[in-house]
Amino acid sequence: MIELKNNSLTFSFPEVHPSACLTINFQRTLRIPDDDKEYPLPPGLGRFPLQHVDDYSKHVPASWIEHGGVMLPMYQSEAMWINFHSDYDIDRATSYPFAIKVATGKTNAVTGSEWTRGLNRDPKQDYVVSPEQPWLDGYCVEEGLIRQFVAMPLGAGYTAEEQVTGKAEHGGLQIAVYPMRREIYERRFPKCDREELAMESTCYYLDEKGPTYVADMGLAPGGRMRQEIYRDPYDLTDWDPDHSSRCFVHIANSMVWHQITGEYPPTTPPTAQEYTRAGLPWFEWYDDKNAALKGSEKLSAMKSVATLGKEKKDVPMSENSPVDPDNVVILHSDSRTGQVREFRDE
Amino acid sequence: MQKCLDGVVSIKYYTVPMNTDFGRYVRSKREALHEKRAEYSVRKVAGRLQIQPSYLSKVERGEVAPPSEDTIVRLARDLNEDPDVLLALAGKVSKDLRSVIMKRPKLFAELIRQLKDVPDHSILRVVREVRDGNW
Repeated sequence: MIELKNNSLTFSFPEVHPSACLTINFQRTLRIPDDDKEYPLPPGLGRFPLQHVDDYSKHVPASWIEHGGVMLPMYQSEAMWINFHSDYDIDRATSYPFAIKVATGKTNAVTGSEWTRGLNRDPKQDYVVSPEQPWLDGYCVEEGLIRQFVAMPLGAGYTAEEQVTGKAEHGGLQIAVYPMRREIYERRFPKCDREELAMESTCYYLDEKGPTYVADMGLAPGGRMRQEIYRDPYDLTDWDPDHSSRCFVHIANSMVWHQITGEYPPTTPPTAQEYTRAGLPWFEWYDDKNAALKGSEKLSAMKSVATLGKEKKDVPMSENSPVDPDNVVILHSDSRTGQVREFRDE
Repeated sequence: MQKCLDGVVSIKYYTVPMNTDFGRYVRSKREALHEKRAEYSVRKVAGRLQIQPSYLSKVERGEVAPPSEDTIVRLARDLNEDPDVLLALAGKVSKDLRSVIMKRPKLFAELIRQLKDVPDHSILRVVREVRDGNW
C-alpha cells in the first residue's frame, strides 16, 4: 500500500511485517556545476510538493491518468535527490530493509537498462538497498560517481530516456519497492537486549531561508557527484517478490504547476555559487562497510546536459559556474541515526 | 470530520442516540451549563446568538424547525458542542461537507452506506492509497 503523506510516499507492507514501512521523498537541491569536476553531496532544501494525479484529472494529460501515481513540479534544469527512510525498529536495532528500483523515463538509474519487473543481479544489480543507501542523487555512471538528476523537458533530447532509448515516451520517475521477507528479517535481525542499544545522534540542520498545456518533464544527467551506489549485502532470495508496490511519479514543469493545481511551486533554489559563497555546508558520506557497484556503461555513455547543450548550440541551464566547496560536513554510516542532509520541513 | 493536510480523513466520533431530537438535545446541554453558570439562561444565549429568546425556547421545545446552518454553528460554539453533531441532529449538512459530497455524490453516498454498521474504532482513519495505473 502506498500513501501520500506530508509530501512523501509511504510504502507500507503490514501484511509482511509491522515494521515494513519505507518513506520516500524528493528533495529540492542545488544543481551542481556540470563541468566534469567531481562535487560532494549538495544539501536538501525541502521536499518537492506531491499531489495525486487523479485530483487534477482535467488538467493533466490523459497518459498521466492512465499511469496513475503522483506528480511534482520542477523547473527546467532544477536538480533533485531521492531520500529513503525506514523507521528504526528499536527491538531489533535496525531499520527494515527494502530493495528499491528507481527509473527515469523507464530507464533504470543504476544500470541504464529498460524497466522490468522484479529484481535482478545478473548481469548487474538493478536496485538499491535501504537503509544502506540513504539517498540517490543521480545516475550510477562510475564506481563512486553519479551524474545528478536534472529536470529537462521531455522531447528536447536531453533526458536519460531519450539518450538511452532514442525515444521520448514516458518521462517522470518510476519506483518499485520490495520488502525483505519477514522470516529472513526476523532471522537476520533477532530481537536484542534494549540495554545494549546505544544510539548516537548527530544532527545537521539547514535553515530554509499560464499556459493551458502541461510540459511533461524527464530527468537528465547533470554534473558529477561523489556518491556510491552500494552492492546488495543480502541474498537475492531475501526480498519478497510477492509484496512489492510501485509508483509513477510524473514531473510537471513548475511554470504550469499553478495552472494544474492552483498552488504555487517552490521558488527556484539558490545556485551552487550563491550557496557556496554563503558558506553553507556540502556533504560527504562515508560507509566502509558496504561495497560500491561499478558504474553502468550505458549510463556513463550519456552526455551531460551542458555537453549536449553545447553540441545543440542551446543554453539549457542559466548558471553553470564552477565552485569550490570548502565547508563539507562528513556523515558516517555507523552513526547515522538522526543525521540529515536535508532541511526538515515535516 | 476533520480533513488533514495530507489528505487523510480522520473521523472524530460522537455517539448520539438515534432518537435524540435537536431541540431536546440543545435544551439539555444548555440547562446543564446553566446549572453552573448564569450566562446560559435562554435569554442570555439568545442574546449572544442575536435571536429572540422566545424563538430559542420554541426551538428547544421542538415547536419550530431548527434554525439556519449559521445559527446552529454559532449555537454549537456557544454551548461548546460539535457543530457537525448539532447540524446532523437538525437534519442538515454543513456547507463545506456538502460541497465535498456534491463533487462526487455517488461515491460518497456509497462510502457512507458502507460505513453504516462499522464500529467507531474501525473508522477513525480512512486511508487513501496512491493509485497505480497502467505503465
